[in-house]
Amino acid sequence: MADTIQSSPWTDDGIDPGAVLLNVDNISLSFGGVKAISDISFDVCKGEIRAIIGPNGAGKTSMLNVINGFYQPQEGTIMFRGKERRSMKPHQAVGQGIARTFQNVALFKGMSTLDNIMAGRSVMMKRNLFWQLLWHGPALNEEIEHREKVEEIIDFLEIKHIRRTPVGNLPYGLQKRVELGRALAMEPSLLLLDEPMAGMNLEEKEDMSRFVLDVNQQFGTTIALIEHDMGVVMDLSDRVVVLDYGKKIADGTPDEVRNNQDVIDAYLGVPH
Amino acid sequence: MFYRISGQFKTDYRSDHALFRVRQDAVLMGIILLFAWVIFPFTANEFVFQALLIPVLIYSLAALGLNILTGYAGQLSLGTGAFMGVGAYACYKLVTIFPEMNLLVAIGLSGFFAAAVGVAFGLPSLRIKGFYLAIATLAAQFFLVWLFEKWAWLYNYNASGAIQVPTIDMFGIRVAGPTASSFVQYYFVLFVVTIMTIFAINITRGHIGRTWKAVRDMDIAAELVGINLLRSKLIAFAVSSYIVGVSGALFVFLWRGAAEPNLFDIPLSFRVLFIAIIGGLGSILGNYLGAILIVALPVILNILPEMVGLEINAAVVEHLNIMIIGALIIAVLIIEPHGLARFWAIIREKLIMWPFPH
Repeated sequence: MADTIQSSPWTDDGIDPGAVLLNVDNISLSFGGVKAISDISFDVCKGEIRAIIGPNGAGKTSMLNVINGFYQPQEGTIMFRGKERRSMKPHQAVGQGIARTFQNVALFKGMSTLDNIMAGRSVMMKRNLFWQLLWHGPALNEEIEHREKVEEIIDFLEIKHIRRTPVGNLPYGLQKRVELGRALAMEPSLLLLDEPMAGMNLEEKEDMSRFVLDVNQQFGTTIALIEHDMGVVMDLSDRVVVLDYGKKIADGTPDEVRNNQDVIDAYLGVPH
Repeated sequence: MFYRISGQFKTDYRSDHALFRVRQDAVLMGIILLFAWVIFPFTANEFVFQALLIPVLIYSLAALGLNILTGYAGQLSLGTGAFMGVGAYACYKLVTIFPEMNLLVAIGLSGFFAAAVGVAFGLPSLRIKGFYLAIATLAAQFFLVWLFEKWAWLYNYNASGAIQVPTIDMFGIRVAGPTASSFVQYYFVLFVVTIMTIFAINITRGHIGRTWKAVRDMDIAAELVGINLLRSKLIAFAVSSYIVGVSGALFVFLWRGAAEPNLFDIPLSFRVLFIAIIGGLGSILGNYLGAILIVALPVILNILPEMVGLEINAAVVEHLNIMIIGALIIAVLIIEPHGLARFWAIIREKLIMWPFPH
């Protein structure tokens, strides 16, 4: 099973491992008078796990929203897979290979686990209304072809037993896992995870950490994640960028960040 | 006991994607089809055809169209009656301009007119949602009925302002008009409804149906998995209005025989919406169950006292009828807000378990 996944096309996006996949350059975003992000630059290299951390309200989620096209920054440019872009619609970002999960689970509650993950492959399913009406033939073949891929993901995430359960009935930890599955179904070259461990107990966090590492290593997917659990962040990530009040205050390996005085001040506070 | 599903294994995805994953469901469907295609038409009398069978089928089809839009794609619409009217008037114009045209073709084409109008009124759905969209479709309802009244070309400048179904033959058999037999009309309606239902099942279980449900359940997430919201909603409006338009054409040509503009007014929209809600939003089966409850049950209750030999004043029967149906609707919605289709799903689940409690 792992072999078939390893050779999957989504590891191959024309970027060499270690080269810059995403470059965020001098991005500023404000809502009226509120500056959510001011002048932030960082890069994400192919194949790494990049963490974005910072206290509440630092602009982390806004940053992800800018990257996947949900917000349009007022200033700055984003370079993804060698192409520069200023503004785009979220579904175009998906077309380019950016997938994400949400801080609050955003699954399709009335649909089964299987359907949720299948929905992640909507962009790749091309058979039009006419073939859908007939169902038998090309539409069914396409469905089965994608079902096979989806079953690989279900297998990988160990959610076989809940395949047909409506996701609204699932416990929170499993919902998070299904959401990861849906993002993986898009075969992204960049995966954005917004607090994948929020609200989980230790065991669930360990499971999720293992999946994040496995995705990174087996699929070669580049990951940018936001997380508040410092233990998880320091163990998982290759490089960390720290935001505070919409500004970048540190960038580097976990060890460098851990010993950075600005970071310590941001988290623990400084006497005024 | 009868619904034992153990031992029915799926060994490939093709069989897992079968319409009936459980053999007993297929058998049950076969029995229902046998009743619809053979037993009912050969045992029914004129009254049963005209008051029960044909209207239930036509209302089911209208509810099916609405259910695709509201139940699957999550876009509330109050304009169903008017879209039925578009189908009916389009069909009327087609058969009067091209008298040689096969009625089946004319009805099939008239759906496209309804679909076009539906898409036009569906355009605001990208910006407005829920009740606000319902108000926008209400505008369609009032505008179209007004148009049916004022645009004399639509009813061929009749003095009465109504459309009268001409006598239409198909392959030498009379299918529409005052002299057509109910037997033939029933089969005509059943054929169209069967085809439409098969199409609806196919489209809702495929990837377009999945995009609709995704848009319904969480539109922001749908957009972020790469679904084009506008496109998905407009396809839903088109498919839904097409089916509703076809049902409107059947409504007038194969059942009513004539129609005035106010026939397509808001009470008709509400009736179809009630059928869809009570049957169960997001289900195909529910439309039929809902139509049986809303359309057929009052008729049966009306003739019931007479059949069992009770002598009750007709007005009393009429009022009792309204009270019973009203109470039933409220009871269904309290006991199972997801409609009759969910009722059946629960019964089926219990049957699978039976005689064990868990």
